[in-house]
Amino acid sequence: MTALQSLPTVLRRRRLMAGGGVTMTVLRLIVVYLIALLLQLTFFTQVRVAGVAPELPALVAVLAGLFAGPRHGSMIAFWAGLVWDVYLSTPLGLAAAAFAVVAYALGGLTEDLFHDTRIQTVVLAFAGTAAMVTAYALLGEFVGQRGLVDDRLPRVVLVASAFNAVLSLAAVPAMRWAVGSGPARRRARRREPLNAPRTVR
Amino acid sequence: MAVAQRSGRSRYRLLLLILTAATLLTLDFRGFGPLETAQSRVRDVLQPVVSAVDVVLGPVAEVWTVMFSYNDLQEENARLRDEVDRLSSADIRSAAQQDAFDRLLAATAVTYVEGVERLTATVLRDSPGNFDDDVISVDAGRRHGVAPGMAVVTAAGFVGRVETVDAVSSTVTAVSDPGLVIGVRLLDTGDVGLGHGMAGDPTRFVVDAGLRWPETGDLSELPTIGSAVVTAAGSRYPADIPVGRVASVEPAEAGLAQLVTVELSADVQDLGYVTVLLQAPGDEAPVGPDSPFPQESP
Repeated sequence: MTALQSLPTVLRRRRLMAGGGVTMTVLRLIVVYLIALLLQLTFFTQVRVAGVAPELPALVAVLAGLFAGPRHGSMIAFWAGLVWDVYLSTPLGLAAAAFAVVAYALGGLTEDLFHDTRIQTVVLAFAGTAAMVTAYALLGEFVGQRGLVDDRLPRVVLVASAFNAVLSLAAVPAMRWAVGSGPARRRARRREPLNAPRTVR
Repeated sequence: MAVAQRSGRSRYRLLLLILTAATLLTLDFRGFGPLETAQSRVRDVLQPVVSAVDVVLGPVAEVWTVMFSYNDLQEENARLRDEVDRLSSADIRSAAQQDAFDRLLAATAVTYVEGVERLTATVLRDSPGNFDDDVISVDAGRRHGVAPGMAVVTAAGFVGRVETVDAVSSTVTAVSDPGLVIGVRLLDTGDVGLGHGMAGDPTRFVVDAGLRWPETGDLSELPTIGSAVVTAAGSRYPADIPVGRVASVEPAEAGLAQLVTVELSADVQDLGYVTVLLQAPGDEAPVGPDSPFPQESP
């Protein structure tokens, strides 16, 4: 096994160790997700734009895909969707499946992105949310749920995605902290050696 | 090589997640008891936290609501000023109490159902999701004797059915939900059919199954516009609960069936209180060969 081949594994291990291990990462993710869920269940039942609320569980799933990669991101997104399903009128597993698939795709597509800029994350949060909400609605219709795909869907997708894109500015630091991401992730993306100095932005 | 292996493992894991979701979906569709209990327990555990956060963030959310409904508030303000002029002796507090009392009376003064135990519940909040406009939460649950499938009404008529029941709260699917199928009877003609809400219009309901267009072509056999529509005796809910009034009748299925649009009698968008009819729900109203309703197929 070459040094380059083992780099992501070593980085992942270091990242988890740096954050206090897998248990601490899971606990941090639970904290961040619970905050998002509580805001969604309380504050954002009233605070809406054009009758549409943000999709904070989807935002957590999108950022998990971006910061934890397709493998771990899809797992986090699955659980985020599953808990969100508990509060939705649609069948259990619908949001979980949609979130996991989109987070996987998003994580895979963005794994080799060269930069990790704020504007890039905002755009990806918008696109990821749009994909998740659309996938959720289409999958729901596919399994026989009425009223998910109608003329209101484009408005819901656009407004919820825009809402999430704005809120991602606050959510990104929280998710970076939760997944123990940040510099290590960026370095992994650039395929830099472990002892390379950090770039100051 | 290692990258390919990792990618393969990732795809394998995603496949497992999708299979898990598909299994959960199947179990949920089949009404697998332990799964529903588990969901209910999760909601029960989080309910006190949700309520506490709601109390803390409620005023902040109110500020947002006030900011973005300024025009509406201006109109309402003008109307209230007129009202204050007329009722100069009444203070705002008593007016608010009167409003709450009126809403409570509207929800509890149910005169059309007899012999059924009732429970008055307060509407807690609207749905948290973007696709659940027709779902509301009420503060009555398992501990109060509420069970899934029970009818929820106001004095105006049918509001919806209890969907999920937790310890102290429940969700109600409103009659405006296109997915909620209800057996109804048209009082004018006595015909019985199946209807559901109309997507995007929470004030209307459409009866699109079980009603045949008059073979003779005699339009006097059609229900009169404005005639009442109630729940049918064969439906899963108590009979004769007002649903609404006929708004239009159109031919459907190449002129062989009736498509009856009904103006709902209950306003499901502005509910303060509701009454839950504590009667064990009947079986799901079957659609098709086993339907208790007349088969009007050509």
